[in-house]
Amino acid sequence: MDLIQGTLEMLVLRTLVFGPLHGYGIAKAIRSSSNEALAIEFGSLYPALKRLELKGLIACKWETSEHNRRAKYYRLTSAGRKQLMEERSKWAEFVNVVSLVMGPNPGEV
Amino acid sequence: MSAWRKLKYLLPSYRHSEERDMQEELESLAAIAGRRELGNLTLAAENARTVWGWAWLDGIMADLRYAVRVLARQPSFTVVAAVSLALAIGANAAIFSLMDAVLWRDLPVREPERLVLLDRNSLSYLAYSRFAQNAGSAMEGVFAWYSNASRRLDAGGGAQRGTVELVSGSYFPTLGLRTQLGRGILPEDDLRSQPAQVALLSHAYWQRAFGGDRGVVGRPIWVERARFTVVGVAPPEFFGLEVGSVPDVWIPLSTFGSVFSGPNYLDHSSNNFLYVAGRLKPGVNAAQAEAALTPILIQIDIERNGPPATEAARKELLQSKVTLTPASKGLSWLRRRFSKPLRVVFLMVAVGLLLACVNVMGLQFARAGGRQRELAIRMALGASRWRIMRQLVTESAIVAAASGALGLAMFRPAANALASLIGVGGGQTARLVLPLDGTMLWFVAGVSMAAALVSGLLPAWRATRRSLAVGVPQQSQSMTAPPQRRLAGRVAVSVQIALSLVLVAATCLFAFSLQQLRRFDSGVRRERLLVVDVDSNDGGYKDASLVALDARVRGRLAAVPGVAAVSYSQIGVYSGRTSGDAIEADGYQSRNPRDHQAVFDQVGPRFFSTLGTRLIAGRDFEENDTPSAPKVAIISQEFARHFFAGRNPVGLSFSTWDKQLYRVIGVTGDVRHYSREKPERWFYLCELQSQKRTPFFSTRFVVRARSARVVNAAGLRAAILAEDKALRIDEVATADELFDRTVDEDRLIETLAWGFGVLAMVLAAVGLYGLLSYEVTRRTGEIGIRMAVGAQKGDIMRLVLREVALVAGIGFAVGAAGSAALARMAEGLVFGIQAGDPRVELAAAAILAVVVVSAAWLPARRAALTDPMSALRNE
Repeated sequence: MDLIQGTLEMLVLRTLVFGPLHGYGIAKAIRSSSNEALAIEFGSLYPALKRLELKGLIACKWETSEHNRRAKYYRLTSAGRKQLMEERSKWAEFVNVVSLVMGPNPGEV
Repeated sequence: MSAWRKLKYLLPSYRHSEERDMQEELESLAAIAGRRELGNLTLAAENARTVWGWAWLDGIMADLRYAVRVLARQPSFTVVAAVSLALAIGANAAIFSLMDAVLWRDLPVREPERLVLLDRNSLSYLAYSRFAQNAGSAMEGVFAWYSNASRRLDAGGGAQRGTVELVSGSYFPTLGLRTQLGRGILPEDDLRSQPAQVALLSHAYWQRAFGGDRGVVGRPIWVERARFTVVGVAPPEFFGLEVGSVPDVWIPLSTFGSVFSGPNYLDHSSNNFLYVAGRLKPGVNAAQAEAALTPILIQIDIERNGPPATEAARKELLQSKVTLTPASKGLSWLRRRFSKPLRVVFLMVAVGLLLACVNVMGLQFARAGGRQRELAIRMALGASRWRIMRQLVTESAIVAAASGALGLAMFRPAANALASLIGVGGGQTARLVLPLDGTMLWFVAGVSMAAALVSGLLPAWRATRRSLAVGVPQQSQSMTAPPQRRLAGRVAVSVQIALSLVLVAATCLFAFSLQQLRRFDSGVRRERLLVVDVDSNDGGYKDASLVALDARVRGRLAAVPGVAAVSYSQIGVYSGRTSGDAIEADGYQSRNPRDHQAVFDQVGPRFFSTLGTRLIAGRDFEENDTPSAPKVAIISQEFARHFFAGRNPVGLSFSTWDKQLYRVIGVTGDVRHYSREKPERWFYLCELQSQKRTPFFSTRFVVRARSARVVNAAGLRAAILAEDKALRIDEVATADELFDRTVDEDRLIETLAWGFGVLAMVLAAVGLYGLLSYEVTRRTGEIGIRMAVGAQKGDIMRLVLREVALVAGIGFAVGAAGSAALARMAEGLVFGIQAGDPRVELAAAAILAVVVVSAAWLPARRAALTDPMSALRNE
């Protein structure tokens, strides 16, 4: 399944609500929380992380993982949290509007 | 916030640490997840770098580094291109700066657009005072100045000539000038009852005489014999209100009496010696102000001349009107005189720049030919056409930037040299403020970048137009060069020749014009004629003693070996001086006061025979025309025509403004003091008969030598100083030199035209040689085959030269049309020749043809000497 342009960053922010994760962890989390429907390519996820970092929505820090491996962990900043709220309400509105237009499934009428 | 973070990435150290961090992170993730799981990590990293947003900068830096390497490998191309563009850019900058100073720039004072000149002519002190007192309803302030008096200045380091401007106390406050140091001259300095001996220095004089000493305020300075105290220094950009001159010192008008011997003009309501200007009140327009000022003008007239005697005079007086002239750019007769020459020169310089661009473009075409293989390989490796074009244009931009920097370095000397070509009469050159300011930097940057685009874009587009297939196999480039590329080269050559022809034709036109001017008959025989200017101010001579002194000095000069004749005058010839009077002549009537105006000179005995001026009727002044003899005058042909139309003037009389009657004893041919001058109404009085001879004008002796180079200046000087050591000899010059100075506009254009004509020929030669050599090299294989199948050396040379002839012919045709257009612009600037004279075109074409043939000859000869075997082996 393809992502609508721009939603990847929203998904990343959402994923980080539950706590800091490293880059690969974020990819895995998105995949599992979408029931494996969204296979995010790391090649596009990584630049998205950098973009969010540049905007100050997420921050990162080197830490040691549960398997005693060093990795860079990303976490939401307060600005990121605010951004996520906004994105979420915008998204809800978007879904509403689009389903209004689309109506019920024509096959069910 | 985000922008700030992004900016940090511009720091190389920050980027390096980020880069290391990123690599580390990706490696750590690969260790956790496995490479396969993560996919193409290099691509991820590359995409992440674009997030930092400086990929384009990296690209440009890489382009720049590569371009510098390429250019360094081809130093001859780089130097020729940069230097030829630099010459053109420097010249453009200098001309632009000069035009800005002379034509466009506003005065560096507060709200210059509200400044107006009250009358184009000078006014009396009385008139100024009345305007200053009564103009309050329309004007915020009225001020006056007496400009550029040449006076003795002594800043403590010895006396020198300098220029002094006397200004009313309202001058600086009304202009709203901020001084660099100290204060300006204030109204309380300029009280008639109590003149304050204070002086404001110009920035240049402060630098020159005081070495820019910041403690100058309070120091003394002597103007003539009077001691003044320095109160301030003007800012460097301020030159007063007259474009082309910068006074050394400003002093209050009220000190007139202490720096000028003779009558104090401030007391005489008839001496019109002041320029009067003012600042309009906010919201008052010029028409309203004119209406408000006109009653004051009429009052002044009544105060000066009494109430009108007749009804007609009353009506005439009521007709008088104040005419305001905008003065936001100051007063400039330079503007009137030089605006057209400067525009023509600017056009020539612009054509020169275009030529330099085309020249570089041609070199680029040639160079791109040698780089086909490199470009083809890069394209084959996946570089986009846009990417390669960017690379090539970057090379041009580097060349242009270097030229811009060189051009800026040339700006100062070039601008000063140009300014020194602008004469303001009397052998003085204009003193203009030509700053290297922001405007100039923008101009140079803009011109350089335009040059980069013009010279680089087309060759880059051409060079990248080829398909891969043609480039890489690269077997026989010389035989299969696509015709459109050869066309581009040929067009470049044609354009080059056309532009060169325009410049060379302009050069020929102006050179011919100046030659005609030099031959111009001004009514004076200039050969072997010397002019010696003697100032007797320091000796205290005046009236009768001065008249006697002039006669004695004449006697001493006549005794110098080799001198054939000597006389003297106050105005003289080609001096830039003038002196006018109102005439009432027997039987002449006109209501218009202008019709009564004439110019006059007081001259010594045998003045006209010394000058070699033709006497049409009557006789010259003689030694026995003394005060006891009847008062006599000699008039010019134009004077005779105007006042005594149709009658024989000899024996008739006229009177001057002071009611003195003179009898005409002779009529001379018209003497013209500069080439374009219309003959003026001259009358000459004999100084020997004069009771009044103010030392206002120094005496100009004219000395006719027996044969060339016999009379030396030292002998003349010694003879004058033998009379009195206090006499100062300001100038010894030949009449030819003086005459040359009167043709300043022509000198400006001619000198520049020569410069650019020669530059054009050099550029054309270099460019043509480059392009033709390239053509020949490219056709080495073809030539080899032709020779192998029996072509002779002569055939090969003909082949090359025929092609050049065709291309050059087209260039000549286009150039002829272009130069005809330029010639139309130059109409009125040239003398003694029609602007479209075919002889000029032919001369230019001949000169350029020589250049073209010599540029083509070497490559053609090289082609003819090609060894067929080696040529073919190279294939």
